[in-house]
Amino acid sequence: MKDRSILTDYVREHWPHYLMAVVLIILSNIAQAALPRVLGQFTDALLAGSIRYEMIIDYSLILAGIGIAYNLLFGAGQFSVMRLGRKFEFAMRQSLFRKFATLSEHYFSRQGTGKLLSSMTNDVTSVRESISNGITMTTNAIFLFLSCLVMMLLSHIPLYLILVSIVPMVAIPFLVVYFGPRIRKRSMSVQESLADMTESAEEQLRGIRVTKTFAIEPTARQRFGSTVDQIRDNQLHLVRMSSLFQATVPFLGALSLVISLMYGGYLAIQGDITIGNFIALTLYLRIMSGPLQQIGNVINMMQRSSASLDRVNRLLGEQPDIQDDENALPLAASPDLELRDLTFTYPGSERPALSGLNVHIASGQTVGIVGKTGSGKTTLVKLLLRIYDPPDGTILLGGTDVRRISINSLRSRIAYVPQDGFLFSTTIRDNIAFSDRDISLEKVENHARQAMIYEPITRFPEQFETRLGERGITLSGGQRQRTSLARGLAKTGPILILDDSMSAVDAVTETGILQNLVQERQSRTTIIIAHRISAVKQADWIIVMDEGRIVQQGTHQQLLNEQGIYASMYQLQEEGLHS
Amino acid sequence: MSKSNSGPPDASRYEALRAILRYARPHRLTFIGIFFATILAIAADLVQPYLVSIVIDDHIAVGQSGLPFLTGMALIYLGLAIVSLIFTYIQSNLLQYAGQHIVASIRKDLFGHISRLSMSFFDRSSSGGLVTNVSSDTETISQFFTQVLLSLIRDGMMLVFIIYFMFRLDTTLAWYSMLTLPIIATLAILFRKRLREVYQYARSRLSRLVAFTAENLSGMGLIQIFHQEKEQTRRFTEFNSDYWQANVQQLKSNVLFNRTFDVLGNIALVLMVWLGGVAVFDKQMEVGVLYAFISYIRQFFQPINQITMQWNTFQSTMVSMDRIWRILRIQPEIRDPEPQQAASVQLEQVQGKVDFNHITFGYTEGQTILPDLDLHIRPGEMVGVVGTTGAGKSTLIALLNRFYDVQQGSVTIDDQDIRQIPQEQLHRIVGLIQQEPFLFSGSIIDNVRLFQEQVTREQVIEACRFVGAHEMIMKLPQQYDTRLSERGSGLSAGERQLISFARIVVFRPRVLILDEATANLDSHTEQLVQEALQTVSEGRTTIVIAHRLSTIMHADRILVMEHGEIVEQGTHAKLLAQGGIYAELYRHARQAGHDAAEA
Repeated sequence: MKDRSILTDYVREHWPHYLMAVVLIILSNIAQAALPRVLGQFTDALLAGSIRYEMIIDYSLILAGIGIAYNLLFGAGQFSVMRLGRKFEFAMRQSLFRKFATLSEHYFSRQGTGKLLSSMTNDVTSVRESISNGITMTTNAIFLFLSCLVMMLLSHIPLYLILVSIVPMVAIPFLVVYFGPRIRKRSMSVQESLADMTESAEEQLRGIRVTKTFAIEPTARQRFGSTVDQIRDNQLHLVRMSSLFQATVPFLGALSLVISLMYGGYLAIQGDITIGNFIALTLYLRIMSGPLQQIGNVINMMQRSSASLDRVNRLLGEQPDIQDDENALPLAASPDLELRDLTFTYPGSERPALSGLNVHIASGQTVGIVGKTGSGKTTLVKLLLRIYDPPDGTILLGGTDVRRISINSLRSRIAYVPQDGFLFSTTIRDNIAFSDRDISLEKVENHARQAMIYEPITRFPEQFETRLGERGITLSGGQRQRTSLARGLAKTGPILILDDSMSAVDAVTETGILQNLVQERQSRTTIIIAHRISAVKQADWIIVMDEGRIVQQGTHQQLLNEQGIYASMYQLQEEGLHS
Repeated sequence: MSKSNSGPPDASRYEALRAILRYARPHRLTFIGIFFATILAIAADLVQPYLVSIVIDDHIAVGQSGLPFLTGMALIYLGLAIVSLIFTYIQSNLLQYAGQHIVASIRKDLFGHISRLSMSFFDRSSSGGLVTNVSSDTETISQFFTQVLLSLIRDGMMLVFIIYFMFRLDTTLAWYSMLTLPIIATLAILFRKRLREVYQYARSRLSRLVAFTAENLSGMGLIQIFHQEKEQTRRFTEFNSDYWQANVQQLKSNVLFNRTFDVLGNIALVLMVWLGGVAVFDKQMEVGVLYAFISYIRQFFQPINQITMQWNTFQSTMVSMDRIWRILRIQPEIRDPEPQQAASVQLEQVQGKVDFNHITFGYTEGQTILPDLDLHIRPGEMVGVVGTTGAGKSTLIALLNRFYDVQQGSVTIDDQDIRQIPQEQLHRIVGLIQQEPFLFSGSIIDNVRLFQEQVTREQVIEACRFVGAHEMIMKLPQQYDTRLSERGSGLSAGERQLISFARIVVFRPRVLILDEATANLDSHTEQLVQEALQTVSEGRTTIVIAHRLSTIMHADRILVMEHGEIVEQGTHAKLLAQGGIYAELYRHARQAGHDAAEA
C-alpha cells in the first residue's frame, strides 16, 4: 500500500532489529508457558511420593531459572521494539519539521498551526504506539497463546478439555473490540468537557473586571457551574460503560475456571488426568486471558492510528506552493523595482487585493506607502518576497521577473521588518542577530541603537542575553516592535522594507529612529509602509493606496496640495485636535 | 498569590485535607456502600485458590465420592463470580458518583469564592495560575477519587484478605511470605520515585519541543523571509534529540522496573515451592494448600504494585488540595457593610454627585499614591483627567469602584459613603469602560446584555442603535447572533469598544468612568467611539481618563494630575490661557503630529 510508505519504509530498513526483537519475545513466551507445566509435574511428583529432598531443590532452581530467563528475554525484546518505535518517532518529527520549513504562508493559513502541531505530537505518538505496542502485543499474544497450548498438550492435558475450558474466554477479544472505541468516545467527551471548563474559567477570570463592574457575578458562577455539571455527567456516562467492561472480562475468565473446575476435576477424579495437570490447567487459563485482551487492544489501536498515519503521510507528501524556477537567477546587486500592471487575488478569494499597479522605484530611493488597513500595502510586500507568487511579469527586480529569481537570494537579500514584531523565545541577542547568528555583539548593539531599543535592553539584568517569552521577560508592544526593527536592520542587502513597523512606537522615538535611518537609507532602496503620515513625510516618493489601487503618488508637498485622501489623512492626524 | 503562600506547609496540609474531606461528608453512606460492594467485588478472585485447594485435597485425592461436592464447589464459585460481576459494576459507579459530585461542588465553590474576592486580589494574581487551580488542581482531586481511592480500597482489601487466607492456610509459610513484603514495598517505592523523575524529565523535554515547534510554526513566515530554515531545523533537532534521549531513559527504567518486579514475584514463588514442597514432603502440609499458596503469592504482587503506582497521584493530590485550600481561605479585603448598617440606595433616584473628601491612599504601606486629594463632581458633570503614567488617575477610579478602600477621608456618592453601599449596588451605580474591551464568547446580543436573560433582544438592539454600533453589526455575517470570542472575531478595537458602550446603555449606571477607552483606535473608529461617548455621557456623571487630548477637550472640566495631586483644573480654553502643564501637553501633541501626550 502506497500510503503506508513512511511506516513500511522504516520497518523494512530496520528489519534485522525487529526480527531479533520478535525472536526474543517468542523465546520469552515459551519460557513463560513452561512454568505451569513444571509446577504441575512438581505436584504430581509430590503426590506420587516418588520425590527426593534434592529434587525439591532442583525444581525450585528450574523454576527460578525459568522466571529469570523469561524476564531477561522479554525485557530485552520489549526494550528493542520500544526503542525502535521511539527512534521512528524521532525520525518522523525531523521529517515533519523539515517539511514545515518548506511550506508557504498560504498553506499555514489554510491548515491552521494548531492542526499541524497536533500532527507533530498526537499523530506521531499514535503511530509510534501502534508499531511498538502492535509488534510486542501481537507477537506476545499469538506466541504466548500458542506456547501455552503446546505446553498443555505436551503435559498430556487432553485437547477437548482445553478447548471446552477456553470457550468463554474466546469472547474477550470481541468484547475489547466492541467496548474499546465506545469507551474511548465517552472518554473523549469527558476530555472535551474538561477543556470547555478550563476555557470557561479562563474567560471568566480574564473578564472578571467586567463581571465585577457590572455586578453580574451570579451569572458568571452559573455559566461556569454548567460546564462543571457537564463534566460530572460525562464522567458518570463514561463509568457506566467502562465499569461494565472492567467487570465482564474477569467474569469470562471466571467462567472458564468454573468449567475447568467441573470438567477437569471430574477427569481428575476419574483418573484421566493427574492432579498436576489439573493445577497446570487452572494456571494456564489465568495466563491466557492476557493475550486475548491484547489481541483486542491491538485491533483498536490499529484502527485509531491509521487515520493518524494517513495524516502524517499526506503532510509529508505536500508540495510547497512556491518553488524555484528551473534556472533561477540570483538577485542583482542594486536592483530597480518595477511593478507592471500588477493585479493580484488571494487564492480562494473573489475580489482582487491589488489591481492595476504600475510603479517604478529606482535603486537607492526611499518610498513611502500609506493607506488604510486592507488597502493592499502588506500584500504588495508579500508578493515582492514571494510569500505568494505574483502573476508572471508583473513584478520586476533589476529587470528580472521575481518569479525567475531564486527564493534563496531574494529572501536573504531583502531586509523586511514586519508589523507584528513577532519575537522568538530566546535571547534578545539571538533575536536581533536572527539573519546571521554569528555576528558580533558590537554589531547587534549598533542595530539596537539604530532602532532606539539599546537603552531599555541594557536595563535588563542580563542585557542582550535576556531571554524572552514564556518563562522569560516580556517586552511591551513598542519594545517588541523596536527589537524586531533592529532584527530587520541587522540584515544586509540592497532593499529594506519597513511594514508599518513603528505603529506602537511613540512620536518622539519614531522621529529619532527615522533620523537614525537616514544614513542607512542612502545605500539601499527603502520602502516604508505606514498608517501615520509622520513616518513617510521625508520619503523621496509617496504612494497612497486605497482598496488595492494606487490613488495618489508624489512628494509630501505635492500630495498635500492635491486635496485627496492624503491631505485629508494629514488633516485628521495632524490637526485632529481642532475638530 | 505570593502573600498567601506563607505558613507552615504541614499544618496547612492537614487543614487542607480536612477542608476537602468536609465535601465528602454528605456522601458518607455512599462510601459505606462502596466499602461493602468492594468486598463482594473481590470475593471471587480471593476465594478461588482456596476453593480449588479444598477440591484437590478433600475430594479429588479421595476419589469417586467427590463428584457431588465438586459440582457444589463449582456452583459456589460461579455464584461468587456473578456477585463479583455485579458488585464491581456497582462499586465503580458508586465511587464515581460520589467522587464526581464532590469534585463538582469543590469546583463551583472555588470559582464562586474567587469571583467574590476583591479586585486587589486579581491585580496580584495571574489569571493563568487561578485557572490552573480551578481546572488542573481540581482534576487531580477527581483522579484521587477515581484512581487512588479505588485502588486503595480495592487493592488494600485484596492485600488484607490474601494475608488473612495465607495465615489461615498455613501460619509458618505465611510468615515466610510476609518476609518478602518489606522488600517488595521498598523496591517499589524506590523505583516509583525514579520512574516519576524520568517521567517528569521526559514531559518537560516534550513541552519544550512542543513550545519550540508551536512558536516556529507561527513564526514560519518570518523564518522563511530571513532564510533561517536550516538554523531553525538545527535547533529543532537539538530539542528533538533531547526528547528522544529522555524517552529511551524512561523506557529503560520502565522495563527494568517491571522485569525486576516480576523476577521478585518469581523468587517468592520459588520460595513457596521450596518451603512448601519440603513441608508436603514431610507430610506437614497438603498439596492443595501448597497450590493455594502459590496462587496467592502470585496475586500478592499485583495490589502492591497498584498501590505504589497510586502513591505519586496521592502526593500530587495533597499538593493540589493545599493549593486549593490556600485560595479558599483568603478573605475578600473589601467587605460589604453589615446588613443593619447598609444604606439602601434606590438606583433610579441616584443623582450622581461624586465626592472625594480629602482622601489618602497607597497600595502598600509607606508609599502614598494620593496624598490628601479633594475632588467634588456635580451630578451630570463630565470631567476629563489627564496626567502622566503614575499620576494616580487609575487609582482614583479604583477607589470610586471600591476595588480598594481609602486610608483616610471618604468617597461618597450622593453624600453616601460608598463603604456603606453593598458592592453589588455600588457597581450598578458606577459603570466602567476600560481600554481593552473584554468580550465573552457568545453572541453579540449576549455580550451586550452580559447574559442577563431579563434584558430583551429589542433592548439590546436599541442600545446598539443608540451608540452607533447597529450598522456595523448588521454588516456581520450573522448580525446580532454573530458569535464573538475573547479575541473579538473580526471586530476592530473600536467596534469592540462600541459594544462595551452599548453595555452601558443597557445597564444604565448613573456614574460612568472611561479609563483610556479611546487609546489604540484608528482615526476612523475613533470618531465613532467619540460620538458614542457624547451620547452615553448625556445625563450621566462622567469621568474620562485619556491620553488623547481630543477625547477630553470638550469636557465640562479638565483635571491635570501629577504625583497624586490635582495641579490644574478648568475648561480647555481656560487651561490653555493659563499656559501651564496642559498648555504644554497640548502644544507637544500638536507639534509631534500625534494626539498622544505620552513621552
